Amino acid sequence: MIEFSHVSKVYGNVKALDDVSFTVEAGSITGFVGPNGAGKSTALRILVGLAHPTRGSATVLGRPYTELGCPGLQVGTLLDAGAQHPGRTGREVLTLGAMMLGLSKSRVDEILDLVGLTGGESRRTVGGYSLGMRQRLGVGHALLGRPRVLILDEPANGLDPQGIQWMRRLLRDLADLGCAVLLSTHLLHEVEQVADHIVMIGRGRVLARGTVDELSRGRSLEQTFLELTANADRSAA
Amino acid sequence: MTDAHIPATDITTTDLRRTPFRRLLCVEARKLVDTRCGSIVASILLVLVLASIVSRGVVFGPDLHTLVGTAGIGYGTLLPVLGILSVTGEWVHRTALTTYALEPHRWRVPAARCLLSLIVAVAASLFALLVAVPVTGVVANVRNVPATWEITPFMLAGWTGTNVLLVVAGLALGMLLLNAPAAIVIWLSAPVLWSVVKRLGAGGAVAAEWLDLNSTTSPLAAGDMTGGDAARLAVSTIFWIVVPLTVGALRVIRKDVN
Repeated sequence: MIEFSHVSKVYGNVKALDDVSFTVEAGSITGFVGPNGAGKSTALRILVGLAHPTRGSATVLGRPYTELGCPGLQVGTLLDAGAQHPGRTGREVLTLGAMMLGLSKSRVDEILDLVGLTGGESRRTVGGYSLGMRQRLGVGHALLGRPRVLILDEPANGLDPQGIQWMRRLLRDLADLGCAVLLSTHLLHEVEQVADHIVMIGRGRVLARGTVDELSRGRSLEQTFLELTANADRSAA
Repeated sequence: MTDAHIPATDITTTDLRRTPFRRLLCVEARKLVDTRCGSIVASILLVLVLASIVSRGVVFGPDLHTLVGTAGIGYGTLLPVLGILSVTGEWVHRTALTTYALEPHRWRVPAARCLLSLIVAVAASLFALLVAVPVTGVVANVRNVPATWEITPFMLAGWTGTNVLLVVAGLALGMLLLNAPAAIVIWLSAPVLWSVVKRLGAGGAVAAEWLDLNSTTSPLAAGDMTGGDAARLAVSTIFWIVVPLTVGALRVIRKDVN
């Protein structure tokens, strides 16, 4: 349902992404992991048409994202939980999203309920929200249109243990309903618990991909990850 | 997990219908006033229009044309600021990520904002008329003097057109700079700057005559345009609206959103 095909992105003489290819299938959760600055956010922004690849292409549901008519009804995105107007209330953020997608006001209440924001919290301005609350709001915003593809950039950042467990269960349920979930993270323990597939990226290149078991090789995912990123750094230096 | 999350769309089909333009327009309208800052500017504007029309009526007497025109002072300054805040806020707070993820045909967003500015300016002009008519009547009654109702449709249209131009110019400046403080400072200090430019010799005087939107729109607002006025208005409109709007829109359409 998501396909990256030889995507490269060059800023000046910096290669942010170098020939990135991978797919995400329906009914599965793919963890997109890599150190900070590895190119995860750039890749996700290219996927949803917010940035333009220098070479290659990325498609969602078999098409470039920008060709989807009303994309929010098919693809849910959370690209940066911090990117909110601080003077808008949480409820208002969801109301604007629901209006844009042509959904009823009751959908806003359903979503607030789903992500565990209370009526009182929803009427406060986002400027006063903790990062965890912003993540819940952002995930709720992504789910407004009942999408079958979910693209989440660092959704677990700032969540407390209960929040993380909630997110884990939510994503698993969505995948079981047939959704394709792509989430980027640098929290390896987290992704180990929730993802079916892992794509590891470092310095803009895909270092490894496979199931969690394949990549952890009987050790921990973290060890594989540290080894691979160290190798990538050495060969780049 | 309740059935609230079952994907709405059929797995086998992909919906390619675009978001109706009317929806974009409604969302952008709501975004003008749904933040703390936006709602404060909008309420100040509302109070300012009411207060200025009433006080002008009390001081100046019951003359409908003058009273309607009074509202233009607030409209020429604060209405464009509202536009500037809405378009620049998008980039400062990075809500552009959400806006353009939900509407990947990016040109439709600035298009909706331009149309919205036009609608808001026309509505605000009608609102001023709606306030000025009873104020004129009441002042005439209280003072027991005859009211002057003289206002031609041509004048009214010219004045409304001026408000539209000023609001769109504010929007264009915001889109060009994508920086609220800079755009607001330039917008509010422009009249002072032009009065300085005017005194900078013959060249300055000509520049001000052709480029100062406030003075080129005044014949339009007064409803007595000549051919020369129209040419000056056209040139200043290109300078303040067409060029910045085009450059700003092209940049928004092409740039990588971060």
